[in-house]
Amino acid sequence: MSELLDKTDLNRLVDAWLSEGRRVAGPQCVNAKDSRGQADRIQYAWLTKAEELRLDGFIRPTNSIKEFVFPRHEKLYGYQFKGKRLELTPAELPTTEQVVIGARPCDAAALKILDAVFNWDVKDEFYNRRRELTTVVTLACKEHDDFCFCTSVGSGPCDERGSDVLLIPIDGERYEVRCLTEKGKKLLAGATTASSEEATAPQGPPVRFNLDALGEFLAGGYDRPEWPEITRRCLGCGACAYTCPTCHCFDIVDEGSASGGARVRNWDACQFTMFTAHASGHNPRSDQSQRQRQRIHHKFQIYPDKFGELLCTGCGNCSRNCPVDMGVLPVLKTIAAKK
Amino acid sequence: MSDNIYQPNLMEVLQIRQQTADVKSVRLRFRDEERAKAFSFRVGQFGIFSAFGAGESTFNICSSSDWTDFLEFCFRKTGRVTEALWGIEEGDTIGFRGPYGNGYPWEKWKGKNLIFIGGGIAMPPIRCAIWYALENREQFGDVTIVYGARTVGDMVFANELDRWAEFERVRVVTCVDPGGETPDFKGEIGFVPTVVERAQIPSEKSVALVVGPPIMIQFTLPVLAKMGLADGDIYTSLENRMKCGVGKCGHCQINQYYCCQEGPVFTYEQVKPLPEAL
Repeated sequence: MSELLDKTDLNRLVDAWLSEGRRVAGPQCVNAKDSRGQADRIQYAWLTKAEELRLDGFIRPTNSIKEFVFPRHEKLYGYQFKGKRLELTPAELPTTEQVVIGARPCDAAALKILDAVFNWDVKDEFYNRRRELTTVVTLACKEHDDFCFCTSVGSGPCDERGSDVLLIPIDGERYEVRCLTEKGKKLLAGATTASSEEATAPQGPPVRFNLDALGEFLAGGYDRPEWPEITRRCLGCGACAYTCPTCHCFDIVDEGSASGGARVRNWDACQFTMFTAHASGHNPRSDQSQRQRQRIHHKFQIYPDKFGELLCTGCGNCSRNCPVDMGVLPVLKTIAAKK
Repeated sequence: MSDNIYQPNLMEVLQIRQQTADVKSVRLRFRDEERAKAFSFRVGQFGIFSAFGAGESTFNICSSSDWTDFLEFCFRKTGRVTEALWGIEEGDTIGFRGPYGNGYPWEKWKGKNLIFIGGGIAMPPIRCAIWYALENREQFGDVTIVYGARTVGDMVFANELDRWAEFERVRVVTCVDPGGETPDFKGEIGFVPTVVERAQIPSEKSVALVVGPPIMIQFTLPVLAKMGLADGDIYTSLENRMKCGVGKCGHCQINQYYCCQEGPVFTYEQVKPLPEAL
């Protein structure tokens, strides 16, 4: 037995969530045609009506869903000087429930992975609050492109990690609904129809590199001569990190003046020169190849050693958005081939 | 919000001492009495200090953990936040988050001879350790302090060097780079690694704490090894760029370590295989 939902009902549900006061985010078309007349861009963004939601006709959005639990720019608290007296005003945490609909499994899985770093030892209340308020309805991928490599990193088009509900397409109009958590069950209660029909799980892209070979390479030390050779063309723009579902580095800065303002955190990227620069001028990672090596090591060795899961879901965004055709996949393919 | 890990405590500036042309030390006390009473830390830990409107910077808490009426930090005017801190006056308020990091392993150091080696502005993280050791004198063996700076005028806590030398079984060696001496300077002329080698410090039952610019540490470590210290008995504090202090933001990560959580104090044994550490 399975539970089914058709597209019309799904759209009706989205409108119902919105009218009940939830915030709903999902893939939608933004910036109609750029200056070169190229096709519209699909991004995860807040929806105002179900009509804006796009569930097929593209591989995946250019951004990831991490911004709904870990915003690009977030106020941590305010400060105000009254003469010499200083007052801090706590940031107001959100209280509105939110739904991410049409998340790709590679995005949803990232949330499960991020839970670890935001909660080891010290707990990050900003992240946790948004995470608690968020229900993730994931759509299994029917299609993939040459950048997708989920199946090479232990994920796949039906990865359930981080999802509260998984929708698997049966045909263009209907989905099999798998409620994976209590949150998911609550959200879809009474909306689905029981059926004997079951969706066929999509296969996903072929395995593109050998993860074990990669592990051997990384265990071989930090000073391998291959790094500069493989990563020399990196521009250090950080597009890979900003569009990555799992990258989570941030900066903390003051916005305002000496009389008042706010302390905020903004996304940051380990690919920037200043990321590790000391005040003295010394920089532990002064070379771009060191910063690329850090990114790969962090994702495939450091994070797994510490938290038990790869810091990569194989979404391919780092390569799709890279101006010089790099990103994780080309680097890993080269490394895995070299061993 | 009660659990905001990024919101600092407010501290009153009690005293500011200008140490050199561009270094000041600041003495602080929590504005909140309850917080002041509840606060404790381990020598070697650090705090994140705020100048509101400019931002936050990370500094070692350079006072001893036995001094409970205040805490101190020391900074060099070198960037946006430290420029703003330079302008603060006694009675002003600054923010403090912490204490963070592991601190020095005093349990392991008990009964040992202590060798403290510091360079330039890196003296504060050693100064707190020196005071802690000297005020708990019976727990430790001989104490040797080697402090080097570019010039005589660049020595921070210079007024405390003589006070340390007055304690029993304490030897203080100071040095400045060639050309940095003044006519009345009584210390040695030379770079820290050379001076350490010349000083013929006994290494039996010893641990060494070396803090300074990476280049100084790199050249001092082989000297200590030659003296017979094991890699596990040589300690350093990695003063990396940090933002959150709680193992999330990624800035201080050096290979597998989050310096803010698993450091900043590491043994040479730990950092030796890490090319980015020094």
